[in-house]
Amino acid sequence: MNFEACFRLLADQLKNEVIVTSAGNCSELWWEITGESERVFYLDASMSLASLFAAGIALGAPERTVVAFSGDGAFCMNPGMLLVERQLALPNLKHFMIANGCYGSTNDLAHPFGDFVDYAGMAKAAGIERVYEFSTQEGLAQGLDDMVQNLGHAFAVLHVEPLGRHLQSPPLDGPEVKFRFGRYLERTGGRPVFDAPVHRQQS
Amino acid sequence: MTNLTNGAEAAAERVAEAAAACGITLIASLPDGWITPLIARFASDARFRHVAVNREESAIGLCSGAFLSGVGSFALMGASGFLTCIYAITKINYTYQIPLLIGITLRGRPGDGAKFHQSNGLYLEPIIATLGIPFVPIERGADIARIATAYRHSRVMSRPVVVGFTREVLRGEA
Repeated sequence: MNFEACFRLLADQLKNEVIVTSAGNCSELWWEITGESERVFYLDASMSLASLFAAGIALGAPERTVVAFSGDGAFCMNPGMLLVERQLALPNLKHFMIANGCYGSTNDLAHPFGDFVDYAGMAKAAGIERVYEFSTQEGLAQGLDDMVQNLGHAFAVLHVEPLGRHLQSPPLDGPEVKFRFGRYLERTGGRPVFDAPVHRQQS
Repeated sequence: MTNLTNGAEAAAERVAEAAAACGITLIASLPDGWITPLIARFASDARFRHVAVNREESAIGLCSGAFLSGVGSFALMGASGFLTCIYAITKINYTYQIPLLIGITLRGRPGDGAKFHQSNGLYLEPIIATLGIPFVPIERGADIARIATAYRHSRVMSRPVVVGFTREVLRGEA
């Protein structure tokens, strides 16, 4: 399916969730479409850690649904992420893996892995019970609610075409991303992050 | 062997108490032979959620995310594993200024008979210094109390702090 159309559909449907985007296309496209800077953590350049970063958030915020986007390039660097996700089995963590067959953050350079690897099969083999695979917008529109709204850790492969163009990175420095995101969580009912008691023990 | 086990368990108990007193509730670990009793201690203590990660970088990612939902965490690993985390630490914790307490073994110091760890003796502490990560050695039992200082310091400076355990401390011999 068309990458941009896929993300527009997701941005239109995922209005209440907390979002973690990975490097390159995921962060750039989400920013271009939404311009959001509070409930989204743009985790540029973690090389495979977006879903586990999101898992950490989900662990401490069981009342929220946390959506992680990662790319197939990152996934191939660290497929063992699935084993940790399975172990955690966080009911509020939803992991979308973008399978575009290329490194979107480095000029869409193709990689061969998707030609012979069944990513969804890997997730199932890792013991993840709720595994989805979407290749069309229609299929995604039909299955998205089931994946995201129903409780239970879920992993989805989104088969998309390479984006084919350069986008602007979110124009936010790291600490700004952190404070906007953390303050948003605090303000909307989360545990104290920046004002946690540890700060008050010694002044 | 029994004395060694008792000493290691007692040391693990003290480290666990220090971590709990900090408000740490999440432990993400990958073992080194020196810290297996400590990991087992955390895994069996209901005050902590222990997560066995697939690689050390995953501990960095998981614990960094946990900070943002108000969860205190401790990433525990061997010296070699720590050295695989440089990218994750510099990209996540430095770029976004996210605090993190990391516990490592001080492999390769005099007394460590493992030849394959001597590179850690040569390069581990200089690399930590080069990265500018505050380093708190835990060389005697009394130093275990410094875990709280290290944890608090990571929060104050919004960056990682490393605590390094000697074998003697982990065995309860120092």
